[in-house]
Amino acid sequence: MRQNGANVLWWWIAVVALLFPILIVLGIYMRMVQSGELTGLQSWFYPVMTLHGLGMVGLWFTAPMACMSDALQRYVKPSGAVAWFALGGTVLGVVLLLVCVFLGRFAAGWYFLYPLPLMGGWPKWSTVLFLIALTVLGVTWLIWCLDLLRAIAQRYSLSHALAWHYLVGRTEPEVPPLVLIATVSLIAAVACLVAAVIVVVLFSADAFGGIKSDSLLMKNVTFFFGHVIVNLSMYVGASVTYEVLPSFAGRPWKTNRIVALSWNAVLIIVFFAYFHHLYMDFAQPETVQYIGQIASYVSSIPAAVVTIFGALMLIYRSSMRWNLASILFFLGLAGWAIGGVGAVIDSTITVNAVFHNTLWVPAHFHTYMLMGLALMTLGYFYHYCQAAAAQPENRASLWLVVSLMLIGGYGFLLMFYLAGAYSVPRRYAIYPAEVSQGAGYAGAAAVFAAAFLLGFILYLVHTWKRWARALSVSS
Amino acid sequence: MRMIVVLLLGVTASLAGGSSAVAADESAAASFQRKCSVCHTIGDGKRVGPDLQGVADRRPQEWLVRWIMRPDQMLAEKDPVAAQLLAESNQIAMPNLGVTEPEAKALIEYIRVEGAAKPPAAATEMPPRVYPEPSLGVVQRIALVLFLALSAAITVVFCWVALSTRTPQALDVTEAYRLRKVFFFIAVGGLLVAFAASVTKTPYTEARARSDRIVYVAARQFDFIFSLEPIVSVADLATVPVVKQLELPVGAAVEFRVTSLDVNHNFALYGPQRRLLAQTQAMPGYVNRLRVRLVTPGRYEVLCLEYCGAGHHLMQTELNVR
Repeated sequence: MRQNGANVLWWWIAVVALLFPILIVLGIYMRMVQSGELTGLQSWFYPVMTLHGLGMVGLWFTAPMACMSDALQRYVKPSGAVAWFALGGTVLGVVLLLVCVFLGRFAAGWYFLYPLPLMGGWPKWSTVLFLIALTVLGVTWLIWCLDLLRAIAQRYSLSHALAWHYLVGRTEPEVPPLVLIATVSLIAAVACLVAAVIVVVLFSADAFGGIKSDSLLMKNVTFFFGHVIVNLSMYVGASVTYEVLPSFAGRPWKTNRIVALSWNAVLIIVFFAYFHHLYMDFAQPETVQYIGQIASYVSSIPAAVVTIFGALMLIYRSSMRWNLASILFFLGLAGWAIGGVGAVIDSTITVNAVFHNTLWVPAHFHTYMLMGLALMTLGYFYHYCQAAAAQPENRASLWLVVSLMLIGGYGFLLMFYLAGAYSVPRRYAIYPAEVSQGAGYAGAAAVFAAAFLLGFILYLVHTWKRWARALSVSS
Repeated sequence: MRMIVVLLLGVTASLAGGSSAVAADESAAASFQRKCSVCHTIGDGKRVGPDLQGVADRRPQEWLVRWIMRPDQMLAEKDPVAAQLLAESNQIAMPNLGVTEPEAKALIEYIRVEGAAKPPAAATEMPPRVYPEPSLGVVQRIALVLFLALSAAITVVFCWVALSTRTPQALDVTEAYRLRKVFFFIAVGGLLVAFAASVTKTPYTEARARSDRIVYVAARQFDFIFSLEPIVSVADLATVPVVKQLELPVGAAVEFRVTSLDVNHNFALYGPQRRLLAQTQAMPGYVNRLRVRLVTPGRYEVLCLEYCGAGHHLMQTELNVR
């Protein structure tokens, strides 16, 4: 069944190969400014922070989506035209963002809380261009998600796609975990992208019509969008792990009642966990805050007990074929687990009171995004290229890549965790004397991040050879 | 009441030490407070923009009037002094605040008189502050140790599973499912204990307790304003007495009623040991009540922990507990 839009993944790999190192360099720049180096370039800190955040969130939503879209072709037929449209629309959105940040110095941060984009001191045109870029990306991704849902619906009814028949003990028709998780993730994606549309409309009403919005409402809608899109990106990464890992372990990983139950629970929980972003907004109803803590806690159960435990069960004492792809998937699961621990700790209201908007926050989300989702996605990319190119693999250089990524990645993250525990705020271009300890952590983090970048460049060299060979063979 | 309040009244000039010129021009003081004090001080040091003490002597009157009225136009014309100020202010451009010519002239006069009434900045310069080594709070320590311990456990389990693939054998699915059940109950039990232990002492339950003091806080780009009456709009700055130096008694339970006059901010209280003690968001149109008992004497810093624009990291103030 694999053909529609199959080769669009080659170009998604190229996009990631181009954008990811640039965005890492922007991140290193930020940590160097915070460490007291590059003071001459300090005025770019907040625009770069905005671009780094938007770029990384967008990249690690679309890249796993491209993998999932590719993997789904084993079972359903997504539109090839829509797959290319998604790539084109995303590139256009990125170009618009680059213009509004580098020419317009737009710097509202990646979750752009109302009304900062309208009161930040940058030219109004850059805010307008930012809203246009968001619209382009939102509409593109919405169409992409709807097309994938359409493709699933052509073969599976909604109840089958969500594996409800497993809940009552039936196993026919068989639904691969990939289809189940894709359906859950795409429904969540549609909901959060609709929320993004609402945010853009309300911003536009203020920008062009002077119609003010309620700041608490806007914060809720914005975080609903922001939290859900990041959360579901992780689930999209998990979906391809379910699909690919069994081929390395030589064991099946199938849907059963527990898997069906947990992913249906995820579909409900994912909409409520975002409340933890508003714990420090005491005007939010108190009950909602406790719902946020409960939902955040509960969301860890399906991930840890079903997916991660299931993956470990799959691999334990199996005839695992270790190569760069399977190692990256495996390490990605570990990163998800460790980042999840950091997230659950921070989602405790009492802890959040002293961790909110300190560096503990980027610590945990960088853990599951960088050492979780990004590694899973890079694993899929390598797997895809290696499957097509079938080239011999060098174990020594493989371990060099993995070691650099592990030491660089976790060293970089540890600096965030320690600084967060020591109350260093996030999103500060320069640390005032009271929290000047942040500068030391930032300097060390920049060095570790450079090591990770080196590991990624070596990964690219490995993958690039296979990418180019496979592309020449297919053409 | 041990609270020592220095009132910076927009309508009086008591701080200026009998400066009758300022007292006579109430509107200039109010204008300065409303439009200029976010970024400038007169003799209290650099903020986002330069300290304005003596500026009326350093720059020609016509240049100042034009700069106050149309900074955007002067920047667009690449006025060399304007360009230099922009560079010195970290590329944060002075906004066009819609100041009229008479208002600009009154402001310059106010700055001149206020500046003359104060000793030169060098005379009031404080010796460098000595900061204690940063330390971990109880909650932070527990969270960090728990995180490191669980991360280490995850690492061990993953290593064990990876190494197990050296000796492949068929999986005992029944045993694995039994283990999963145990893991499920441990995870749920752990989360229930964490919830029960943490939920009794949240900032919301704290906020309901009785307070000894109420302090109003209005946040704006890039400044905190303390007052004893609510400030809910920029217009209130001209009428509500603000507290310039806030001092509070040791052991007092203080309720901070926090709002914002522009964008989302945050009111984060750092104790004398440089630890974050408590925080709440400052939101336009809402008041968040943060109750804190100040048990340790010393200087407390207030930082903004919600990104609010180019001067975000400069947004801070302090209070003293004695």
